[in-house]
Amino acid sequence: MRRTFLGELEEVVLLTVAVLGEEAYAVTVAQELDQKAGRAVGFSTVHTTLQRLEEKGFLSSEMGGATAERGGRRKRFFRVTAFGRKALREAKEAREALWNAMSPDTLQLMTR
Amino acid sequence: MERKPTSAEPPRWATRLLASWSHPDTREELQGDMLEMYAYWLESLGKPAADRKYALAVFRLMRPFARPKRSNDYSETYSFSAAMIQNYFKIAFRNLLKSKTFSAVNILGLALGMACSLMIMLWIRDERAVDAFHANNGQLYRIYMREYFSGKVQGVIWTPGLLAEELKKSIPEIEMSTPYSWTNPQTFSVGSKIHKQATNWASADFFKMFSYKLLQGTPEGALRDKSNIVISRNMAEAFFGSAEAAMGKAIRFDNRKEMTVSAVFENIGTNSSLQFDCLMTWDAYTDDNSWAKDWGSTDPLTFFKLRRDADPAKVATKMRHLLDKTNRDAGKPYKTQLAMQPFHEYYLNSNIKDAKMDGGRIEYVRLFSFVAVFILLIACINFMNLATARSSRRAKEVGVRKVVGAMRSMLAGQFMGEALLIATLSAILAVLLVALLLPAFNSLTGKQMALPLSEPMFWGIIAGLLAATGLLAGSYPALFLSSLNPVRILKGALKFDSGSVWVRQGLVVFQFGLSVILIVGMIIIYRQVGFVQNKNLGFDRENLVYFPIEGELFNKYDILKAQLTQVAGVKEVSHMTATPASNGNGTEGITWPGSDPNDKVRFTPVGVGYNFTKTMNLQMADGRDFSKDFPTDSSGVIVNETAVKVMGLKDPVGREINWGKSKIRIVGVLKDFHYQSLHTAIRPLIAYLAAREPQGSVIVRIQAGKTPETLAAIERICKKLNPNVPFTYAFTDQEYARQYQSEQIVGKLAGYFAFLAIFISCLGLFGLAAFTAEQRTKEIGVRKVLGASVAGIVGLLSKDFLKLVMMAIVLASPVAWYIMKQWLQGFAYQIDIEWWMFALAGVIAVLIAVFTISFQSVKAAMVNPVRSLRSE
Repeated sequence: MRRTFLGELEEVVLLTVAVLGEEAYAVTVAQELDQKAGRAVGFSTVHTTLQRLEEKGFLSSEMGGATAERGGRRKRFFRVTAFGRKALREAKEAREALWNAMSPDTLQLMTR
Repeated sequence: MERKPTSAEPPRWATRLLASWSHPDTREELQGDMLEMYAYWLESLGKPAADRKYALAVFRLMRPFARPKRSNDYSETYSFSAAMIQNYFKIAFRNLLKSKTFSAVNILGLALGMACSLMIMLWIRDERAVDAFHANNGQLYRIYMREYFSGKVQGVIWTPGLLAEELKKSIPEIEMSTPYSWTNPQTFSVGSKIHKQATNWASADFFKMFSYKLLQGTPEGALRDKSNIVISRNMAEAFFGSAEAAMGKAIRFDNRKEMTVSAVFENIGTNSSLQFDCLMTWDAYTDDNSWAKDWGSTDPLTFFKLRRDADPAKVATKMRHLLDKTNRDAGKPYKTQLAMQPFHEYYLNSNIKDAKMDGGRIEYVRLFSFVAVFILLIACINFMNLATARSSRRAKEVGVRKVVGAMRSMLAGQFMGEALLIATLSAILAVLLVALLLPAFNSLTGKQMALPLSEPMFWGIIAGLLAATGLLAGSYPALFLSSLNPVRILKGALKFDSGSVWVRQGLVVFQFGLSVILIVGMIIIYRQVGFVQNKNLGFDRENLVYFPIEGELFNKYDILKAQLTQVAGVKEVSHMTATPASNGNGTEGITWPGSDPNDKVRFTPVGVGYNFTKTMNLQMADGRDFSKDFPTDSSGVIVNETAVKVMGLKDPVGREINWGKSKIRIVGVLKDFHYQSLHTAIRPLIAYLAAREPQGSVIVRIQAGKTPETLAAIERICKKLNPNVPFTYAFTDQEYARQYQSEQIVGKLAGYFAFLAIFISCLGLFGLAAFTAEQRTKEIGVRKVLGASVAGIVGLLSKDFLKLVMMAIVLASPVAWYIMKQWLQGFAYQIDIEWWMFALAGVIAVLIAVFTISFQSVKAAMVNPVRSLRSE
């Protein structure tokens, strides 16, 4: 059975790929997460997650862009697929629906 | 690709781990990513932390069991794909067909070499199988004696007849034992049927110890009673029609004893060293030969079977001094000890050297193992040589294959595979050849070998042979060709360095060296066998017939002699113990004034009749022959010159010496003559007059050219006088020659193998010469245009090869000399190894080489230069 929902880490990684756009590959994603999201996610975790996202169809990949500091090896660039965009949107909407359902008092407490 | 000159690199082991164990689908980008990440960590965290993080990530990213799922953009070079294998075969067969001569030379050479080694292997297998069929094989032993005297030791395989029983009594580990006498022909009769059969005597344990198959009767009941006789299927069929009919029937032995058939055994095959048609009990033997009950006698062989759990070494120590209590050595100058040898080893190790069983047929087994390996080696060298020489033709192919991605290992595999393919073809041919030649080989070696096609062992050996040959023969081309540099090959700048030429020439030298060794060996063996057979023995062995004194002849010798001398073709008649061809008897009881009581000199005694020297055509050196005119001759003896020398007598005739306790007088001295094979030196001989009780054989000198009618007359007389015994006779010269049977066989085999070795070497030379001639076509053309003669060009082409052959001769001669010197040690009388033998071998090798090369070189020299030069 194929899981079609997004895990929390998967969502973050998918979002990062979307943020990075053309430049999204395992290294940039890992560094972005490290610097921007401030989360200590290991490189191996990022790599595995990217693979899993691709397997699930949220990402597509393409080889290219060999550089010297990589020892001449190509990079695997990731791009969010339409299915991935849909999943991100659904996740965002589900969250917003939950935020919206919150009573004003609680909301005030949260944002203080 | 350039690498940034950075001092900080990730731990190499981790990188390597990543390269080999990460998921194959993502391996490339992962390795790149990790390098980038390392650089990032290095900058932000420092080297130790970066190293740690890198290693940790590597461990987490290992996917040792992952299989690639993604399809690749480029297919990998994969040498085991169906298309590639098909291509390999196609190319291999094309190459075979393209140059038919080379292929034929290759395959034929290898096939001959393999057939030859296969045949030798069959022979060795057959030799090793002798006596191995007994179920108790590991527990069976034979005894031999060591006689120590005055610091020397001498081995004797014959033992006292009482020993077998004594062994069982005094050594608990010995379960069974049997004496086993010398197999000799005896006369048996049933009604009017009279036959001579090879007879022996053994104890009741015999059939329990040895696994001779009984068709009738049981091992326990076979030799229980003195009147029992166990006969072979052949003998049963000859007397009674069948094995079943023979059981319990009576059979008359020597026309004096009635025996009862108690068991029938299957005819004994050639894989047994013990050969007999019938067995009777040892007790029956001692009844007839009372002296065999004496510890002092040495008569039968003794075999025994150990208990399964016994320790042979302990048993050997226990038996060593067993004879001390028997008083055997009382009054004699020597001490006798017992020793044992595993039963199955005797056939191959039957020589007694320094009182140890060592050597014998095993030496021939070893010799031929070497020959087999040598010949196979020569054939393999051929293959290597030809393949290397022709590599220039394959070089382009190698270049192209390398350019399109073949790795060195693949090319090596390809050439190895081709070698194996050719080896397979050769092996098939070799098996066919062996099947074809085996009958001839059998008749030569006197064996009954068959191709053991149903045995997996045989196919295992073939497969092993094939693999060994293929790998050996293919190794050099495979390693050499695959090492070529594609750029240089395809540019056409390929030049074989002197190294490869050197190797090729070395191989030719080696090959011819082996051939020269074999030729020299053949010459020397032929000469030695010829020498032995034609040597003046000191007596005239032509036209000398002898037949055993047996049955009623013991008492009728005088009548026999009177009648024989009447026959027109008979010149002289006499008799002697033993036979004229061989006399192996020995006595140590001779003493003379001044003899050393501690030194044992073994004399060979022979009891002779009147006229002995005349019949044998012996020369007297001094004194006279026995004569009826001197009645005192009954205590007289004739000795040979060696005996005189040993005793150190100045004026021997008329001297008195002692034999045991009796005094004897020397009446004559014979010139030395060979009464044994030339393997042994002439020993002191002492001939005594045995005219009163003739024993052994009647010897008859017949006239040359009248053999058939004389023999017929002799037979008629014998039949009349001795009706119950079939007449059997032998010619001395034939019997004498038989003693060198194994040398003759070895000589012939060495001849065949030498021929084969030369032939195979020449095949190789032929191929090489063809190759050189082909390579130098242009050169020859130019030379001819400039006026070179055909002879000059032939000389030019032959010179290089002849140099190699010469070198081979020079190198091989000392080796051949050494080997053959060793072989000749087996003869007391040897030929000298002379220089011309090596010269002859060299000339033969050179002539054959020249003949082989000239085929090609003349052909090359005759070619019209226009044809060879026009395409330039």
